Amino acid sequence: MNRSARRRIHRALWLVPLVTLHLVLLFPGFFAPYDFAEQNRDFPFRPPARLRFVDANGAFHLRPFVYALKVDDVSSVVQEDTSRVFPLRFFINGSRYSVLGPWNARLHLFGVESPGRLWLFGTDDFGRDLFSRILFGGRISVFAGILGAAIALLAGASLGVIAGFYGRGADAAFMRLVELFLALPWLYLLLAVRAVLPLRVRTVDAFLLLVAVTGLIGWARPARLVRGIVLSARERGFVLAARSMCASDWYILRRHILPQTYATLLTTAVLLVPQFILAEVTLSFLGLGVSEPIPSWGNLLAQLQSYRVLTSYWWMYLPAAILVMLFLLYHRASSALEKRATRVSL
Amino acid sequence: MVRTGQRLLHSLLLLAGVSLFSFALLSVAPGNFFDELRLNPQISPKTVASLEQQYGVNRSLPVRYAHWLGSIANGSLGYSLLYRCDVGSLVLPRARNTLLLTTVATLLAWAFALVWGILEALHRGKWLDRLGGVCTSLLLAIPDLLLGLMLLVLAVRAGSVFAFRAYLGSGGTAASEASAGLGSRLFLPVLALTLGILPVLVRHVRSAMIVALDAPFVDAARAHGISASRVICRHALPAALNSLLSLLGFSIGGLLSMSLITEVILGWPGLGPLVLEAMFARDTYVVMAAVMLSAAFLIAGNLLADILTYWNDPRIRVVSA
Amino acid sequence: MSRYPLSAASLPLVAAVMLVIGFPLQAVAQDDTLKTGVHGKTGGSLTVALRTEPKTLNPVLSVDAASREVIGAIQADLIHINRETQRTEPALATEWKISPDGKRYTLRLRRGVKFSDGAPFDADDVLFSFKLYLDEKLNSPQRDLLLFDDKPLTVTKLDPYTVRFDLPRPYGAGVRLFDGLAMMPRHLLETPYHEGRLAQMWAVNSPAGALAGLGPFHLKEYVPGQRLVLERNPNYWKTDAQGVRLPYLSQLIFSVVTSEDAQVAGLQRGEADIVERLRADDYSVLQRDAQKRVCLRDLGPGLESIFLFFNLNHLDPAKQPDLAPKQEWFRELRFRQAVSLAMDRKGMARLVYGGLATPIWTSATPGNKLWLNAALPHPERSIEKGRALLQSAGFRWDSQGQLLDAHSRPVAFTILVSSSNAQRSRLATLAVDDLKQLGMDVQVVPMEFRALVDRVLNTKNYEAVLMNIVNGDADPTPEMNLWLSSGEMHLWDLGEAQPATPWEAEIDSLMRAQLIATSFAARKQAYDRVQELVSQNLPLIFLLSPNILVGARPVVGNFRPAVLEPYALWNADQLFVRPAGSATCQ
Repeated sequence: MNRSARRRIHRALWLVPLVTLHLVLLFPGFFAPYDFAEQNRDFPFRPPARLRFVDANGAFHLRPFVYALKVDDVSSVVQEDTSRVFPLRFFINGSRYSVLGPWNARLHLFGVESPGRLWLFGTDDFGRDLFSRILFGGRISVFAGILGAAIALLAGASLGVIAGFYGRGADAAFMRLVELFLALPWLYLLLAVRAVLPLRVRTVDAFLLLVAVTGLIGWARPARLVRGIVLSARERGFVLAARSMCASDWYILRRHILPQTYATLLTTAVLLVPQFILAEVTLSFLGLGVSEPIPSWGNLLAQLQSYRVLTSYWWMYLPAAILVMLFLLYHRASSALEKRATRVSL
Repeated sequence: MVRTGQRLLHSLLLLAGVSLFSFALLSVAPGNFFDELRLNPQISPKTVASLEQQYGVNRSLPVRYAHWLGSIANGSLGYSLLYRCDVGSLVLPRARNTLLLTTVATLLAWAFALVWGILEALHRGKWLDRLGGVCTSLLLAIPDLLLGLMLLVLAVRAGSVFAFRAYLGSGGTAASEASAGLGSRLFLPVLALTLGILPVLVRHVRSAMIVALDAPFVDAARAHGISASRVICRHALPAALNSLLSLLGFSIGGLLSMSLITEVILGWPGLGPLVLEAMFARDTYVVMAAVMLSAAFLIAGNLLADILTYWNDPRIRVVSA
Repeated sequence: MSRYPLSAASLPLVAAVMLVIGFPLQAVAQDDTLKTGVHGKTGGSLTVALRTEPKTLNPVLSVDAASREVIGAIQADLIHINRETQRTEPALATEWKISPDGKRYTLRLRRGVKFSDGAPFDADDVLFSFKLYLDEKLNSPQRDLLLFDDKPLTVTKLDPYTVRFDLPRPYGAGVRLFDGLAMMPRHLLETPYHEGRLAQMWAVNSPAGALAGLGPFHLKEYVPGQRLVLERNPNYWKTDAQGVRLPYLSQLIFSVVTSEDAQVAGLQRGEADIVERLRADDYSVLQRDAQKRVCLRDLGPGLESIFLFFNLNHLDPAKQPDLAPKQEWFRELRFRQAVSLAMDRKGMARLVYGGLATPIWTSATPGNKLWLNAALPHPERSIEKGRALLQSAGFRWDSQGQLLDAHSRPVAFTILVSSSNAQRSRLATLAVDDLKQLGMDVQVVPMEFRALVDRVLNTKNYEAVLMNIVNGDADPTPEMNLWLSSGEMHLWDLGEAQPATPWEAEIDSLMRAQLIATSFAARKQAYDRVQELVSQNLPLIFLLSPNILVGARPVVGNFRPAVLEPYALWNADQLFVRPAGSATCQ
């Protein structure tokens, strides 16, 4: 292939980890070796598993393996049991998880046979596999962010379009409302609204409400952007021409005005998603979002508030590392989209 | 002039709207301050009911709102149930502490961002720019939360380093620590906050400078043979700064509300921890005072941004005249 | 405020002696306490780290622990309970007589005592203080402690140094009533009181000159959000065995350190000298400190108990239809017993508290040594026994292991827990996992604290709740409202005028008996039986009691923490600064 095509592919390489990460987070049950709630009370705060190739007798194994852990009855020290090796297996049957609604499955991408344990990122305070919890938690945090951003955009864009298109009264009311929402300190508002939420018996409901709340607070900025675009698009030549041919409002909106907004909406979306993910993380960190035992990146990070964890168990920082990595990818995406948008409009 | 007056009135109305909205929101929450006393077996429900009656927590929303407006008029800003004193005397010293932190951090961030952003713009595309880009991306991707936590660990681990020692305490007698005052503990929170604000500022400065450098009048100036440094300082820079004025306004607007998380994590005695506690305890007046103060700053910042841009850029004046 | 019953044999003896001789054992008691302390060097300053800011310095209004700590160092009471010996000792009152019918207490006040601002202390101050506590309009949290069957005690001045208290009925705990009731200066507070401004007085940011007290220290300076500086009260009435006027310290500083890490770091680096209540995590970090810079004490379980309970209220099925079938399970004793057997108390203590908590099975904790019914069994955790009990009650399991009741409904319910307490959420997580082994499908629902209280006490819309109670005193009397069927804190079944079950009826009569009985033996017998009934019928399934963990640096002299609040500062007047270079703990 020629050089410019290669360069284009090279520039878009960041898409691969971004999309992969989202796919993995969409099906955490499959990619994670264990259930997020599975406790191993004898093994709290274990460091990440050591995958070995050479066993205690010096024999080399092609498949990497782990040893099982046992607790010494007398000294309560945790040791590896070198008597038996548990090789890494792929497409192994493990704990049940739900793929979509009532459809359950037991197939996991990788794992080891019981009683061996493959704790890739170590365990937390109840002996739960951190890697699995990061994946399940990521599903909640990331998709809360995406859904929240979607709601904000939808609400904001609709209102912005109406205000921009119909102008005058609607526009004036709209601008006042936007200013009101922009003048409120968002974090205080978020905390206050969260405190207001009534009991939600099911965690799924709590999650959805959280998403709705963050979405409804964040609609103001995208709305203002969209309104600006609609305002200027309204005056363009082709719109006037369409009007002169008795085109209906809805037709003009659909065919001429809305397409102008798509580029901005996409860029805004990609900018908003990390912010909304961060909103969920902050809320859960402060104890107001998703709570135990359901993991989310926020409440995984909340464990770091303990001095002991902060200074002794380095693997508990891994959710932070994954979070930062995801944000980097999103920012890369947004700057790429911006570049594309400016190139197109010139 | 008229326009400024109009905007001022507009802002005041907005402030009133914010207060109504916030008050309504805070009142929807179930339970009130005295619920905690209910779970104390040594206090009878009669006493709790009596206390609720005394402080009027169960009155209707309009009555309580009117009461709150009255307390603003007489300057006390309401009564804190948690601290049993006037909200004003509680919130204002804390707001001062927060402003100390955020003002220092904002000044530092702007100073840094201007230098760094201009440098990046001047060396656009070269290694300096790329390195800067990577740094800002990384800083942008790390939320305030994590920054605070990371710095805390660093401080504890490297406790002997002077700056951290000052934050954690001089290690001498407690009395001497007390007299050293708040200033010595500034380093860590300021660092966390500055690093948080920096990336966005740098990006804006950089793009503003680039736009200015690409403008036709700069080419014209260069064509006239004016030296590069003079072109930058006298022609490009003022144009760039012009577009940054509104950003300055927003920076000032955020002075009270930007540091909540940092204050909570690093234990800074500012508005953040106070408001958080008050929110959980349903100490409505304290929360209202904090929200109003922050909103006032935000609105004032927006107003300032508008005024500065208007005043500085003759083109806008012409258009709206 | 703490009340401790006198030790088993001594109360009747003391009462008898007092009746005969008419003098209390004042002289003996005073030497008693001061003999146990080490004579210290005067001067120096110590810093106490507080996790939350004190909210007020007004003893009439204070409720939270941080305020009580500071007030305890500034104020003094008439008769004080020595936290170490757990017996009453004279404070501002030097002698007292109790009438034969137990309703009249006559106290003689100490002469020559002055407030920190120099004004003299006499019976008028006592009368005034009690007027404040009993004032209905002030709504002091202390007021209910002075009400007996809703009638207040009356206070009369007999002469400038003698005061008489008349109670509507006899009170088993006796003069322990007076512990913690600070005597306030009439000369400073009477005018504001008559002007209706008392509730605004003595807020934390009051000028130092506006406060005066009889305690070992007085307020010097308050820096908002950061610290309170207390200075030695030159007029403090107590002296040590050598006649040196206490307190030893010239300054006591309360420093507000909200972040856990900063507290631990501060303790290690000398920024704070005493931390009164360490968390289990901090304690284990400090234990592993190689340099042993902090003296740690694990005082064992305190008076806090954490428990799980089910909604046994009699509700209108029309209003809450989902709850009615579930209550059928909750009311089945074997169901509750199975739940109790499934709880991994040891695991909870180990994983959530690092081993620094004690499993409990009834309402009195092991920290309450005098009242604990030690004869009660402590059943070991057993999933098999739990399952056997469930089976005998008509439950069975389906092919997936899900528990089903007799009508083939899956057993699923929710446990409410306060979202503000991380440790309790974690306990709930462990409980859920335990119950999963019985086949129950349980979900934890974290709720904001006030919303939780609303659900439990008002709307009664909940299924199960995991919460805690901290008993104010090691005496059963403060728990009356919890155990009486008509009590306002009869959590699992509120608002019952008549007891709903025979065992609740028995508990009612036993609690009433112990309230008015004057002999400790009779009270203990009654309360023992209460504990037995509770552990058999499980209205509350008790889980754990966290240990009291205190830390101080070696420079703190006379560091003798006790299990009752204030753990390390109860002898603040005897604390002193050991000579520099003292690196070993006492």
